[in-house]
Amino acid sequence: MGAGPDFERDALTHLDALYNFALYLTRHSAEADDLVQETYLRAFRFSHRFQPGTHLRAWLFQILRNTFFTFYRIRDREAAVAEDGVPDWDVPMFHDAPEEDSQASDAHTDLERAMRKLPEEFRTVLLLAEVEGLPLEEVARVMACPVGTVKSRIFRAKERLRGLLRDYETK
Amino acid sequence: MTGRYDDLSDEQLGRRLAAELPRRAAPAHLRRAILGTAPARTPRLSWLAPAVSAFAGALVVILFFVSALPRLVPADPAERLVRAVVSEHTRTLMWGARSGDVVPAGFTDLTRETGVSLARAFAGDDQLTLVAADPVYVDRRRGIALHYRDADGHLVSYVAVPAPSVVVPDRSRVQIDRYRPALLRDNGFATWLWRQGDVVCLIVSDRVSEVELETFKDYFRRMRAATEPLSAY
Repeated sequence: MGAGPDFERDALTHLDALYNFALYLTRHSAEADDLVQETYLRAFRFSHRFQPGTHLRAWLFQILRNTFFTFYRIRDREAAVAEDGVPDWDVPMFHDAPEEDSQASDAHTDLERAMRKLPEEFRTVLLLAEVEGLPLEEVARVMACPVGTVKSRIFRAKERLRGLLRDYETK
Repeated sequence: MTGRYDDLSDEQLGRRLAAELPRRAAPAHLRRAILGTAPARTPRLSWLAPAVSAFAGALVVILFFVSALPRLVPADPAERLVRAVVSEHTRTLMWGARSGDVVPAGFTDLTRETGVSLARAFAGDDQLTLVAADPVYVDRRRGIALHYRDADGHLVSYVAVPAPSVVVPDRSRVQIDRYRPALLRDNGFATWLWRQGDVVCLIVSDRVSEVELETFKDYFRRMRAATEPLSAY
């Protein structure tokens, strides 16, 4: 069976958070649109697999991230473009970026710029744990790794973030 | 020398992230689009499934006999290829996108299946929406087909097949910016045909009138500039 009206309504309350996450993942508003839309399509289609009482937001984040990897194969792409694990900001994931994407590419703060420079695993863990406030267990579920790994990634992500921010400061 | 970020503890940095990192709200059009994808909850009619099934069965029988009718096959390989691609296009028109949830990343699998890889592919824009990507078998060649729907609902098919022997007919070439694809018409459809290395590319549409030619040229520009097919083997 498809999604019920309650499920749809509940799922849509997380739209802004998912879009924001998608924007940080894809770095491109049009692609974030596609990614979020596909996430909801899948969520509605497979709503019967969602266990009521569990964290719907984490479930949606998990679908979004899996969809991101499935569609865009970011792991391969990032490995190809960035030897040091820090991907180039302007590399389009799938097709040529048509023109400057004003919403996604204008980083207004050093913090935002630094976040976008982080490798996906670091970016995701900080977004989910610190920005979205997901419990570490839920972050671990989204990222399909042990809680210990999440903690370690948060620590390393912050180290890397500090380094990037320090660079911006000295410039 | 220490900067203002060096002094931040992990907790403080976390708090700053939560407080200062800009959060973008989803655009209204996205919400509308998602609501549009939500499954409809109209009750199913009990007689509908058998009726549709019977209709589909009858259609299959008819199509089987139609395909058995003799056809005149053009001698020119380019025209033969155009005819085959137009047939594929009409099949897609009749049956709809066979794999509607195909999206960009599916191309790797398509490459394995077809021997054509897409170094870059036109993912659609404000005028054209990618609706499906399929392997095709046209004129005894395996190829890749990307189907788009334009703003007016017309289906536009892009097909790339490795065909080193096919020559683009000079008499049908049309200058579009720096490109000179051939414009060929078959069975009520217009087709752009050009080569990119060993791969022959075609775009099929039912925009056949002179008035619509400009639109069709525009579709060519968009796809030609953004798509780069390669023979994978």
